Amino acid sequence: MIRLEGVLKSYHGRLALRGISTRVERSEFVFLTGPSGAGKSTFLRLLYRAELPDDGRIVVDGYDLAALPRRQVPLFRRRLGVIFQDFKLLRRRTVGENISFVLSLLDLSEKEQQRRTYLTLKQMGLHNRMSALPDELSGGEQQRVAIARALVLQPDLILADEPSGNLDPERGHELMELLKSINYQGTTVVVATHDRSLIEAHPDRTLVLERGHLVRDAWGA
Amino acid sequence: MMVLHGWREVKRQVRESGAAGVAAVLMVAVATAWGGLLWSVHGWVYRELLGHSQSSTVVVVLRSPAAGTTLTAALQARPDGRRWTLSQPRQVQAELAGWFPELASVLLALDEPSFPALLKIDVTPSDSAGLASWLAARPEVAVVKSSTQWQERLDRTFRRAVAVGFVLAAALLGGCFVVVLLVVRLLVLDHADEIAIMRLIGARERDIRLPYVALGLALGATGSLLGVLALVGIELALKASFPALVLGTAMLTILPLGGAVAGAGGAALGLLAIPKEP
Repeated sequence: MIRLEGVLKSYHGRLALRGISTRVERSEFVFLTGPSGAGKSTFLRLLYRAELPDDGRIVVDGYDLAALPRRQVPLFRRRLGVIFQDFKLLRRRTVGENISFVLSLLDLSEKEQQRRTYLTLKQMGLHNRMSALPDELSGGEQQRVAIARALVLQPDLILADEPSGNLDPERGHELMELLKSINYQGTTVVVATHDRSLIEAHPDRTLVLERGHLVRDAWGA
Repeated sequence: MMVLHGWREVKRQVRESGAAGVAAVLMVAVATAWGGLLWSVHGWVYRELLGHSQSSTVVVVLRSPAAGTTLTAALQARPDGRRWTLSQPRQVQAELAGWFPELASVLLALDEPSFPALLKIDVTPSDSAGLASWLAARPEVAVVKSSTQWQERLDRTFRRAVAVGFVLAAALLGGCFVVVLLVVRLLVLDHADEIAIMRLIGARERDIRLPYVALGLALGATGSLLGVLALVGIELALKASFPALVLGTAMLTILPLGGAVAGAGGAALGLLAIPKEP
């Protein structure tokens, strides 16, 4: 599902990732951890092609990202579900519109969009907040909208950047349970987190980054 | 479907364009009404006053009343068979007294030889110059004047006035173009985060850009339609005084398109402010 070969990324001459090589197989659940500034977010940004590597090769779901023409990038991103630490919700759109916007990109009928939006929000317990704007929701609710948006297209791969960063521990564990259940259905999940307690509570394959190096690839924390 | 989302987005952006959007609409409305009015007046002047189908008049002052007979005989021999009216001095005297009633008593007290005999000839504007030269060379003729001369002066003056008017209308449309460009540029900068998010969740460039172009189009088209409505109002108000002043179908079709194109063009240029992806 994911293949990185000698990936190098720098910002203004400062190396953020130094020759990372690894593979993530289909249906795997992988934690990406390390201290702040280790390169976790850069790693994920490269995977959803918000950045291009300075050197090396990244293949995600069969797409060679460095060689991917710009006009095919939206098509590639629609195959992923990305959960951002800061949610990245569309502030001027309602909760319902945030979800149905993603569906509208597939040119589904209005009725089908509404149906899928309702079902996904119901799954997240947010079906009664469809008309609310994101700023009217609590942090936890906003996070659930962001998750609903990532799940609504039933992607093959979910990338989550510090998904529990803005949640209390209980909600954080609930979120991990949800991601695990999605993974059991065959979806590949990569979660970047610096929270060791989450990894200890939900042990799985863990990639540890330090100063841009991949220093460990093992089971559990 | 994307259409519904796009439409909601256009409505949001029209709201957000605020006072600048209203200014753009008003500028297009004024440019459309002004341009349309000029177009109508231009058509009316050329149709009614300066058209080539209109006849010109050549007025000849004869050296003597008797010269009229010789000249009309010569005119009759010309192949183009024009219509003319020969006025003897007595008739000229009466006509002048009729034109200037306050001087009538003075004019009528003068001797008949004080007035010349006149020959008025109706010609097509294209024949006017040739006939005037032929007449000027005749020994019976003292002075020749053609109405084509003032028609040409009026034509020159009117052309200049129309050119200035159209430049003004174009400047207003250009102003709308610039206002829409700035509105879209500001909106794009304001929505930079949102545009980045849309890209991250798989929106195509056209999904992002189309609502902005539609905003420009909507502002331009709304302004043009208001302008056309104003134009129809002006036409109705002037119908009694200038029945020949009509709004053509072509004009009513082209004017709204002009505003819409200016708005969409401004928006397209404003979209250059959208940052590119790596």
